[in-house]
Amino acid sequence: MLDSGTREMILEARDDARRRGLRASVMLHRENSHLMRIGNNSVSLNTSEKLTRLDVRVLDGNREGTHTVLGEVRSAAQVLESIELSARKAASAVPKDYTPMLAEVREGVDESPQYDAALENLDPSVKARIYAEIFEAVGSSYNYSGSWSSGSMEVYLVSTANDREAYHRGTDQLFSVVLKHPEAKWELQDEQTGWKAGDIAAEATIERLKRYADLYEKVPGIRIEPGEYTVVFGPSALAELAMFALMTGVNGRLYEEKMSWTAQNAVGDRVLGENITVVDDPGNALTFMYGFDAGGIRRRKFPVIEAGRLSALIYDMATAAKYGKEPTGHECEPSISIACGTGPESPMEAVKGMGRALFIPAIHYMNLPNVSKGVFTGSSRFSAVVLEDGRMAAPMFSTRITDSFQNVFGNVAVLSSRQVSVNGSNTYGRRSPVAAAVPSYAVVEKVRITDCAESF
Amino acid sequence: MASPDGVKEDIGRGIDAALSAGAEYADARYFTEDLSENLVLYDGNLEANDTGFQSGVGVRVLWGGAWGFAATSDTGSVTACFDRALQNARTASRLVKVKIRMGKNPPVRGSYSSPVEVDPFTVDLSDKLGFLTALDSRMKEDWILRRIVGAEFQKRRILFMSSDGSEIEKRLANVFATMMVMALDSDGRMQRRSMQLYTTGRGTRCWEMLCEPELFGAHAERIKSELSELVKADQIEHGTRSVILLPGQGFLQVHETIGHPLELDRILGYELSYAGGSFVTLDSIGRLRYGSEKLNVSSYGSIENSPGTFGFDDDGSPERDYLLIDRGILVNALTSRAMVNEANDRAGREVFRDAGGVARATAFYRAPIDRMTNVNILPGTDGTLEDIVASTENGIIVDNPTSWSIGSNREHFHFGCEIAWEVRDGRRTRVLRNPTYQGHTLEFYGSLSAVGDERTWRVEQVDNCGKGEPNQVMQLGHGVPVVRFDNVITGERG
Repeated sequence: MLDSGTREMILEARDDARRRGLRASVMLHRENSHLMRIGNNSVSLNTSEKLTRLDVRVLDGNREGTHTVLGEVRSAAQVLESIELSARKAASAVPKDYTPMLAEVREGVDESPQYDAALENLDPSVKARIYAEIFEAVGSSYNYSGSWSSGSMEVYLVSTANDREAYHRGTDQLFSVVLKHPEAKWELQDEQTGWKAGDIAAEATIERLKRYADLYEKVPGIRIEPGEYTVVFGPSALAELAMFALMTGVNGRLYEEKMSWTAQNAVGDRVLGENITVVDDPGNALTFMYGFDAGGIRRRKFPVIEAGRLSALIYDMATAAKYGKEPTGHECEPSISIACGTGPESPMEAVKGMGRALFIPAIHYMNLPNVSKGVFTGSSRFSAVVLEDGRMAAPMFSTRITDSFQNVFGNVAVLSSRQVSVNGSNTYGRRSPVAAAVPSYAVVEKVRITDCAESF
Repeated sequence: MASPDGVKEDIGRGIDAALSAGAEYADARYFTEDLSENLVLYDGNLEANDTGFQSGVGVRVLWGGAWGFAATSDTGSVTACFDRALQNARTASRLVKVKIRMGKNPPVRGSYSSPVEVDPFTVDLSDKLGFLTALDSRMKEDWILRRIVGAEFQKRRILFMSSDGSEIEKRLANVFATMMVMALDSDGRMQRRSMQLYTTGRGTRCWEMLCEPELFGAHAERIKSELSELVKADQIEHGTRSVILLPGQGFLQVHETIGHPLELDRILGYELSYAGGSFVTLDSIGRLRYGSEKLNVSSYGSIENSPGTFGFDDDGSPERDYLLIDRGILVNALTSRAMVNEANDRAGREVFRDAGGVARATAFYRAPIDRMTNVNILPGTDGTLEDIVASTENGIIVDNPTSWSIGSNREHFHFGCEIAWEVRDGRRTRVLRNPTYQGHTLEFYGSLSAVGDERTWRVEQVDNCGKGEPNQVMQLGHGVPVVRFDNVITGERG
């Protein structure tokens, strides 16, 4: 549970607000973050941030006001001041044409399912040492960059709706290294994720980088002509495709407002291939296990696509209130889990006998030229290779895919039988770890390649 | 909580202590206040009525050629923050192949204030909502399914101090605003038209700018009218043709395919692990033909009214006005102190003479990195939009991005836009929906065939440029005229 001093201040302010008849929620977010950035074989930045944020939301009938303070919580009066400010904002607000919902902790939570004090307090020199080990083992003539973000996050939520409290504490880390050939300009990348100090192993990265570097050193890159190809998507590419597809396909707001690519379907309709099943599963240990949302709802397994059929839509509080639905515990990022198939361990094995295939481990800069048709575009980057009958044949230049989610997830020929974690966290705002659990690869037929550069 | 004067004294002591401990350089940015307000009406419902306040100190220490950074929102612990930054730098210095050098600069003492007439944080919330609600009402029609009107205000007061002896105070203010209408087309798919608050590059930049009809509000009728045509429009067909970019689209083209590839940290490989690299090399400077003779691009551009105008960067360098591309030839990059020193060291010659003043951090808890200021295409001599249309045989005019996807070295791109107008034999013929275009950067700018004059030029504001690790969202501007490119692939196959 949150440290007693801060907790008491927040509870005192909450109770005081309740006595004054205010309807308020207070969420504390505290992070202890560290990031080491690598550029040109050196540590280019080594940062530490200890930050505390307080998000306050007040409802006044159909009016709402919110205020966020980044700074230490020093007294109940200070918390109350933020509540009062939000209340004044709510009083001046334009009323909505629906009644908004107040966050309400429906079930007390005190969880730290994936917390490791050793990771929270990891000595940055450990990171520097592992990077140095990788540079040395793979070859110091290459140009290396990368980043290693690690840290802890605490979230504490209460509201005037009841006396219950929800608390989560966790640690997380995302390690990446990029190897670039100084003259030939090709780039390889490796990533690892985890929540414990010992989760990152230099050996695994060294083995993978060496394997690809061997091919890239020996065989020149090739340009892919536009057309339809069998593509093997690696876990990062698969997770990104799934994340975008679900964000725009099962999002209740986009669906209700006719912007979703599923808007012309009903729940129960087949929208993707029969071999695609996707569940929001905060209980999956590969997803950082965040057990409640910002609305105070306990998160549980929530299927969204079952055997290709749209099985449910996800509703945040505002959308639920506006469209008369029940909120589904999605006042947070979903924990996407794609069900595995029966494919062999190795993607190379999976495409044996299939002729030419393109292996695209990650998609760079994906975007959506036509959301309502499910059209996406993005380009290959890092370690992309042409496969011939299950053998790595040649590196490929930066190649653009422009296709639809329905086509890609409708033409999956093989799904790996092994599920892996893909860390999808960013560090734009507050520390908020998110990960998807996806098959380690998917073989997809008839993927549209629309452009290719003449360089990596 | 420490008083501002007390924090300043602690920073001074911290810088001295870092130097005494052997640091080559140290600086701190103290955000005494960082205020934000975000108001969004969605179908008339006030879905965002948010304010934010943050204050704190960010400290950088350069020790052994390596950066250490630490930040705290607890202004009573500035000394500990310096200790942490120093410790981080010492740790980082154990793995340094390329030593970072800030060099010795003379102290800079100065201040900068964004030109403000009416501080939006002094305007009553009910007045702000009254303005937005009135605009929303004007966009209301039975056939319009979704309406969005929003405004965002920012105010920052920053004290910068460095071991150069520099002391700079900045008071920065921004206002951004957007409006959008959406309706279903004949296939039952949602189409949209939008408009963002822009500036002329002159005048003041706060509440009063938002209230200037020509810069924002007066466009409500236009976007409604354009949406009504768009929902009845034909789908664009795949083909090669000229593309005329209005400033609402041109700014993003410049941003993604000139601005980002010319950030020197990116050229030197410091962004590889996240945003990507650049096809530009140090050898490209002064030699690379980036575009046709009609392409002239500046950094900063002495634009007084823009989010990319800030007086001094977060290294303490003055923001500098200079050309990046001169008649199609690449002549400079977006540069900061340490990156200039490293680039010149690597090249073994003076590729860059001065720092361009582009190092910026988005908040006290982020370290400065190279960011765009105002990256501008200078006005040309090809007249107005209608003049350019009159000289176009087969093309489309496009406006406002819906999608952007760019290759990792910025060598190729794909953009989707809200609307296109077909041009045949010098005349606009019809509206087309779902326009997209794609190309390869150098080939594309090489096909630049028309650049509108000053009458077509305006400053588009950007409030969401993402870069760096830890990630940072930055505000900046792009002055752009109407521009035309030839032989561009448009639409999608099949």
